Amino acid sequence: MTRSARIPGRLRRRVDAWWQARSPRTDSLLLTQRNVYILPTRAGLMFCFTLGVLLIASINYQLNLGYLLTFLLAGSGVVSMHMTHNTLRGLTLHLRPVGPVFAGETARLEAVLSSPGGARYGVGLSLQDADAKTLGYTDVPAGGQAMVHLGFIPATRGQHVLPTLNAETRFPLGLFRAWAVWRPASSVMVYPQPERPVGALPPARALAGGQVQSRIGSSGEFEGIRVYRRGDPLKGIAWKQAAKAMASGGELVSRDSSMQSQQQLWLDWQSCGIGGTEARLSRLTAWVIEADRCDTSWGMSLPGREIPIGQGDAHRRQGLEALALWLP
Amino acid sequence: MAAVNASRFAWPGWACLPRETRDTLFLLAVIGWTVLPHLWHLPLWCAALTGIVLLWRARLALIGAALPGRWILLGVLVTAAGLTFWSYRSMLGKEPGVTMAVALMALKTLELRARRDAFVVFFLGFFLILTQFLYSQSLPVAAAMLVSIWGLLTALVLAHMPTGAPSLRQAAALAGKTALLGAPLMALLFVLFPRIGPLWGVPQDGLSSTGLSNVMSMGTVAALAQDDSVALRIRFEGPPPAPRDMYFRGPVLGHFDGREWTPLQPSFPAPMTPRADLRVEGEPIRYEMTLEPLRLTVIPMLEASPESPVMEGVRVAQRDDLQWVAERPVYERVRFNAVAYPRFRHGPQQPMIGLQDYIDLPPGHNPRALAWAAALRQDPRYSQADPTTLAQVLMTQIRSGGYGYTLTPGLYGEQDPRNAIDEFWFDRKLGFCEHYAAAFVVLMRALDVPARVVTGYQGLDPTPVDGYRIVRQSYAHAWAEYWQAGIGWVRADPTSAVAPDRVLRSRQLAVPPGLVAGALNGVNPQLLAGLRDGWEALNNRWNQWVLSYSRGSQLDLLRHLGFNSPSWEDLAVLLVGAFSALTLVGAAWAWWDSHRTDPWVRQLNRLRAALRRQGISAADHDPPRTLAQRVRAQTGEAGEPLAVVLDRIDAQRYGLPGSARPDRRLTRDFLAHARRLKRMATGTRPTPPSIIDR
Repeated sequence: MTRSARIPGRLRRRVDAWWQARSPRTDSLLLTQRNVYILPTRAGLMFCFTLGVLLIASINYQLNLGYLLTFLLAGSGVVSMHMTHNTLRGLTLHLRPVGPVFAGETARLEAVLSSPGGARYGVGLSLQDADAKTLGYTDVPAGGQAMVHLGFIPATRGQHVLPTLNAETRFPLGLFRAWAVWRPASSVMVYPQPERPVGALPPARALAGGQVQSRIGSSGEFEGIRVYRRGDPLKGIAWKQAAKAMASGGELVSRDSSMQSQQQLWLDWQSCGIGGTEARLSRLTAWVIEADRCDTSWGMSLPGREIPIGQGDAHRRQGLEALALWLP
Repeated sequence: MAAVNASRFAWPGWACLPRETRDTLFLLAVIGWTVLPHLWHLPLWCAALTGIVLLWRARLALIGAALPGRWILLGVLVTAAGLTFWSYRSMLGKEPGVTMAVALMALKTLELRARRDAFVVFFLGFFLILTQFLYSQSLPVAAAMLVSIWGLLTALVLAHMPTGAPSLRQAAALAGKTALLGAPLMALLFVLFPRIGPLWGVPQDGLSSTGLSNVMSMGTVAALAQDDSVALRIRFEGPPPAPRDMYFRGPVLGHFDGREWTPLQPSFPAPMTPRADLRVEGEPIRYEMTLEPLRLTVIPMLEASPESPVMEGVRVAQRDDLQWVAERPVYERVRFNAVAYPRFRHGPQQPMIGLQDYIDLPPGHNPRALAWAAALRQDPRYSQADPTTLAQVLMTQIRSGGYGYTLTPGLYGEQDPRNAIDEFWFDRKLGFCEHYAAAFVVLMRALDVPARVVTGYQGLDPTPVDGYRIVRQSYAHAWAEYWQAGIGWVRADPTSAVAPDRVLRSRQLAVPPGLVAGALNGVNPQLLAGLRDGWEALNNRWNQWVLSYSRGSQLDLLRHLGFNSPSWEDLAVLLVGAFSALTLVGAAWAWWDSHRTDPWVRQLNRLRAALRRQGISAADHDPPRTLAQRVRAQTGEAGEPLAVVLDRIDAQRYGLPGSARPDRRLTRDFLAHARRLKRMATGTRPTPPSIIDR
């Protein structure tokens, strides 16, 4: 029983292994005779049936023009098969790097299709397991390039290999469908889903010798502001206060980062105040985003891993990646 | 909303329409064009329904309104089916089938939602094109349908260009390219696909539209006389015979039930029935005949043709009544050579019991004709007269008895169907060949002379076109034969007595021309006749080359290709062989294409292989300049020319301005130097050539 159930599984694994060896993962795929497949569509089978009916009618009524019609359509069908195959063959598919996303968000894939030869019409790209309606179609001009955008929602946090893509076309007559299977090599980093609404940040600690002049409220807003100086980052402008100030004839105001730099935020796994691994990760993620938004220096401690105090985009990415890849 | 849009609607031009609207309108136009030639033989309601539905659909597309619901469509469909049944009293057969197909096509346009629906429209369109050929395979129809095919393919291509705004011209060019590339395959299949007979009996629809029939009742031949289409073409070797001898023998009708003439079923056993027993004399006339698809079993051969015409795929045999009959209806255009003898005799010379069938008359019919015949017999002059004398009496009666020739005599036997011949012979005295032949045979039989009606064609067009003389459907004719002891069957054409023109000069039964045709004839008859002749010559070519391409032509082709006794198996072998060859060529090309590498890569591979033979390591990722350094390092002065070539190749490929393709001369130089270096290294040549100087 178990044995007989296992054999198809083993067979399937072998088939899968052969298949994966046949189409290695790559971010840049040249479609050739070897990796473009073609089969008639249902419409193609219907077309065959129509041809059969036309042929029988021509024979039975001895219609020479009927023969001509039937054979012209048959010839066009055969030619369309080659045209369908030619539409894909010779195309180069190239995947642009995919930026990180948060779980639950759509990862956007950008594929560049380039044709060294003639123009290609009606080339569609889709995720292999997705609905056929998600096909993104494009025409590739002769000797040029075209871009196709696709989106997919990764199921969980972590580093995910990009899903297998299908390039397909039915051009020109829809009687045949040529397709190619493309397994991209690159991966997408999926951060945990940030908690919404953001839980209260833990209290910031002043650096030794520093003076706490500002406080981060539960809403994450600063009280320490100053007049805008040229060179202040846009991010640093306190828009709400600036709006109020400008309405009353004042000037733009910025957050006073000189004070912020003097304080530091410690994001601690233990002090999350919430149970469950994923929930904690969600809260920590939200905190990292919030802290980054506030230009606060922050550090993070996870069980078995500690990220020192720091600031900036690289630091943020490091923190989020640690959260994405964290394993209990 | 829709009403507002419609009220300020103005045609924006193809280019300004939204893509989807334009595609829909284009498809509707193509469908309209495909259906258009059908409208002439469809009932009025179907033409009206199709027109209304197509226009309605076009309006919906223009104002962007929603399509009607399925229940409305179902209602219209049921109505159409009901009307079809009401029109034809049947849902089967050609006419009801075509009517329903056209109605379905129109209704399907109201249901164009998914891609599957579009495909149904396309395939139904192809089918409608084929049904068009059931009615006519003429050149104009072929041209019109070619446009239809192109249009349908264009719409299909448009449906598979989901993005962008491809122009109609672009899609049409792509569709035309597909069809043009497919044309050689079409020609190959058309020439080599073995022609076989009908797979099963088809409904005898064809009988009503063209040709002679096995039944003659008052009025059939009049309907035929209006039909000016070509029945057959004939070309004589040598001078053509006189028009009066041009009788093309069709069905022989020996049985009369009082209303209809039908072929005789002998009531005596076979040995007692009269045989054909054809005896020919005099000079033969050789001719070639091209027979239009009359969809009949009878082959209207020139009287009297003693030898069976040779047609591929059809066996033809002569019956006892001298007509040539094929084993099955001939649906294709056939061409054959035959010999005719204008002077001939046939039938039994001595009385035999089987002739009794030919003096049978239905009892209780035409009492006045019987009485007239009996009175004639009692006349002492004719009581012992031979049949020829009696026939002369009847001819005289027709000539001098106040009879008239007309194509529109009206219906006979309306008051009493049993006395139709009486009514013609004694009262109204107006009719055409059919009436005269029928009355003649009835009277001869009443005089106890065996007689029968023969139908066929008589006469031909006076001027040859392209060497061919044309016999039209309007030359359909009916005449009589009576039997005389010692001679056999004798032809008598009673129509010649009343309308000698009809037989002697073989003018067709003239139909009063319609208004337009009349006006055109008034312009310049000669020009018109010239145009008509030219057109018919073109048509004849079309017929000879395309439409009459048959199994015989295929076998002729095989004979030209060197097959000694070709059969359809040879055709199949040739076809399969041609396809195998094509497939092999395709496979070879695919192999070549898949192994085709970049010319630069190919060049570099050769360089590396040559270097490895020298014992110089060359990895796959080493560019030529690295290889050059290695050559210099390992071989020193002797290898300098090699290194120079490598540097030049490197500059060509990566330098500015680079070249698009590798220079083959450099490759050759490199290989030559490499060989020289190798010879030096192995010492086969003690003195090195002065490569250093170069």
